[in-house]
Amino acid sequence: MRILISRRRVVTGSTAAVLGAAFIPRFASASDPINIGSLTPNTGGGAPYGGNMAAAIKRTVDQINAAGGVLNRQIKLTQEDGETNPETATRAADKLINVNQVMAILGTWASSVTLGIMPKCQSANVIQMCVSSSSDIPLRDTKGLVFNFQVLNPVWGRALGQLALEHGYKRFKLMALNNDFTKSILDGFVDAVGAGRLLEKPFYYNANQASYKSEVSHLLAGTPDAVFIPGYVTDFTAIYKDIYRSGYKGRVITVTFAASGPFKAAVGDAAEGILHGYPIPPLDSPAYKQYLREAGLEDNGQIQHPYGTLCRDQVSVLALAIQKAGSTDADKVKKAIFDVSTGPGKKTVYNVLDGLKALRAGEEINYSGAGSPVEFDSRRQTVDRDVQLYEIKGGKDVILSTRKG
Amino acid sequence: MLAYFVAMATYAGFFMILAQGLNLQWGMTGMVNFGVAGFYAIGAYSGALLSTRVGITPELAIALAGAIAGVAGLGVSLLTVRLREDYFAIVTLGFGEIVRLFALNEDWLTEGPKGLRIPVRPFDFGLGNTAYSLVYLGVVALVVLVIYAICERIRTGPYGRTLRAIREDDVVAGVLGKYVLRFRVQIFVLGSVFMGIAGALFAHYIQNISPDTFMPMIAIFIWMSVIVGGYGNNKGLLLGAGIVMLILEGSRFLGDFTSIVTSQQLSSIRIILIGVILMAVLRFKPRGLIPEPKFVSEFEKAS
Repeated sequence: MRILISRRRVVTGSTAAVLGAAFIPRFASASDPINIGSLTPNTGGGAPYGGNMAAAIKRTVDQINAAGGVLNRQIKLTQEDGETNPETATRAADKLINVNQVMAILGTWASSVTLGIMPKCQSANVIQMCVSSSSDIPLRDTKGLVFNFQVLNPVWGRALGQLALEHGYKRFKLMALNNDFTKSILDGFVDAVGAGRLLEKPFYYNANQASYKSEVSHLLAGTPDAVFIPGYVTDFTAIYKDIYRSGYKGRVITVTFAASGPFKAAVGDAAEGILHGYPIPPLDSPAYKQYLREAGLEDNGQIQHPYGTLCRDQVSVLALAIQKAGSTDADKVKKAIFDVSTGPGKKTVYNVLDGLKALRAGEEINYSGAGSPVEFDSRRQTVDRDVQLYEIKGGKDVILSTRKG
Repeated sequence: MLAYFVAMATYAGFFMILAQGLNLQWGMTGMVNFGVAGFYAIGAYSGALLSTRVGITPELAIALAGAIAGVAGLGVSLLTVRLREDYFAIVTLGFGEIVRLFALNEDWLTEGPKGLRIPVRPFDFGLGNTAYSLVYLGVVALVVLVIYAICERIRTGPYGRTLRAIREDDVVAGVLGKYVLRFRVQIFVLGSVFMGIAGALFAHYIQNISPDTFMPMIAIFIWMSVIVGGYGNNKGLLLGAGIVMLILEGSRFLGDFTSIVTSQQLSSIRIILIGVILMAVLRFKPRGLIPEPKFVSEFEKAS
């Protein structure tokens, strides 16, 4: 029987062959690797950060492997995209846990993703390291497996509130993007200024609207001295345009990534006078400077990669903890994480290779990272990131002060 | 590894139930429902709230969630049933968004963006994790089969004939004496019940739901399942839902086999791939991979 070889069949056949080849299983690599996974927001709302977070994780793992690995084992890293969406992130976590057999999932950014994958991770005894700031994270972590490298929002909100008081403002109105992240920042702000100074209870707006005219007119009613609006850059840009058009003469306060580059580019001179702030990497730390070199960035005194730095710390702390614990058993490693990062009286190390060397020599270490000094409280939350506060002057962020965490 | 396939099969099962509901509404009756995520969310939240806040046994909560979604479907269809195609699509899309925004803002009820935790497990016979996930898959598979049987019964019977007539030309069907609006409302409610059940099963499976789980994207995936698989007939949907899940999740594995692209590039490529595959399927098989068989009348066959 002659088989007609038509062009269509050749295309179909070769495409199938290529796709099929993609699924041939790879042969198992070196002996018994340590499996870890990363679930960064490569797409979606966290996309501006996901790229450098994933790159920082990969770089640090490669560094460790090149120097011989941990406990004489290589680290096998599997990187997935959380898409800043808990529905798909849960499936990605499922793959990481059940197919790639990871012992830890690093790099989740959105609180909804961190909380969304928590049930699966908890039941599989998988360690989580996140940079999410919702106050619910320690509440839902019943097994003590979730380590948060970003300060919880109340600290952040309090610093901004204190700044507002120092500027002499007495009457506030608050409005925030409706998500978990901003709600707890508002709590911190209110804590600092006192509920009596609010003209009205804080209210929330929804994302992805083209215009926020009615929300803004509600916000400015009563002419407050200052308004505080934590949100993401897209909605904040739209809101600020409506505020500016309304001719409001009071002060606008927000969080730094809402007033970042794209915002400034969109509103130009109108951004003058905005106050903002966020937790920052320790700019003077040797670890931060090492990070800049590793990432190929110039040290220009500005904050760069606030989340990439934290991800480098996540990998480093995990590797050091595994070395200290002598195993990848989650219960041992979770205790060791405190040992290698928190507490006084130990040798300070600024990168993972120095730390591994010191541990092998039998020394006690305290890892101080590129994103923060990495000290955990009993609920596994980072406690001492500094919050830096800025005012936008002449199109640039001018540092007003740095509050110790 | 087995655990992963079991999990993916379970997710595919939820998609299959949703796709069958959509097929009843659109594939057989021509009602363009873009609010799939809304009914999914109603089922998920009502099931979750009934079993966590009200304390009803989870199995019963799932069934009731289906009923609640059906009531919502009744409301939506009564309000909109006279609308045609595009207008109906826009209204249902709006409904889906209303549900999501309600869930997001009314946090006294739904915990809003924090997400609702569901610690109770239905069908829990005190088994270990692996056995439980198999049991869950079994239950979902059973539900898929029961719904398949119902849909097949509808499709092959006189009721299905009327629905197809309404789909093709509702004026003609009306002229022939069929009460078009009543059929539309009935089938919309039935489809919504199925979607609600899928939502409640989903909520109790992942044990943590939040409003951004129910973005309109879900409606797009279910539409893909129905279109790729072949609308109108039920076998095609199951294949379509399976293929959509395979593309969504299978594309993750590309990263395991190649390090030519960075993780970030791969993420974007995956999403492009999903669109490209949909276009390719529609180009070569516009009526789906398993097209609806043409119905030939008995008289035609005889002559």
